[in-house]
Amino acid sequence: MLLARIDGFATATIAHPSLRGQKIVLCTPVDEHGHDAGSPFAAVDPMGAGRHAKVFITTDGSWTQGTVHDDTSPIRNQVIGIIDSL
Amino acid sequence: MKPGRVIGTVTLSQAAPQFRGARWLVVSPMGREELTGKNAGLSRESTPVVYDNMGAGLGDEILYVEGAEATQPFKDPIPLDAISVAIMDHHCYQPPEGG
Repeated sequence: MLLARIDGFATATIAHPSLRGQKIVLCTPVDEHGHDAGSPFAAVDPMGAGRHAKVFITTDGSWTQGTVHDDTSPIRNQVIGIIDSL
Repeated sequence: MKPGRVIGTVTLSQAAPQFRGARWLVVSPMGREELTGKNAGLSRESTPVVYDNMGAGLGDEILYVEGAEATQPFKDPIPLDAISVAIMDHHCYQPPEGG
């Protein structure tokens, strides 16, 4: 599980089929004080988190395979919560 | 998933049989400087080699996955650590000022 901030998005026409219709966000990992804590990464976001929202990310591929309904999906990162307070 | 820019390809004269026909990309990971366009060159991070079945070419910006999940698209076991999952058409990355 990671804490991160939504800092952007990406679009892709050519992608693994399990990404079709998914919103892809670019996130920056943050620490418990909200400060940047690592290199940006991408995640699928079924929750529609807004710009600069703090979010909770799972890196569990098998969970994401379930939510995208595709057992062959290699996708790991997914937004699973929007943080109110930290 | 991590963003990265394709900076080269690798070809193998001999490889594990699972890799017959495989295409390999040399990828420069895109960090904050690269995503915001401040650094159009190579990243300081180490350079992964990524399996590709989408046809990404030199200069393309891709998303790739590292870890055990990279083998998930394959029916049979395959010794793979990283795979490309998307060719980015467009991205926007704007961290807050002073963040």
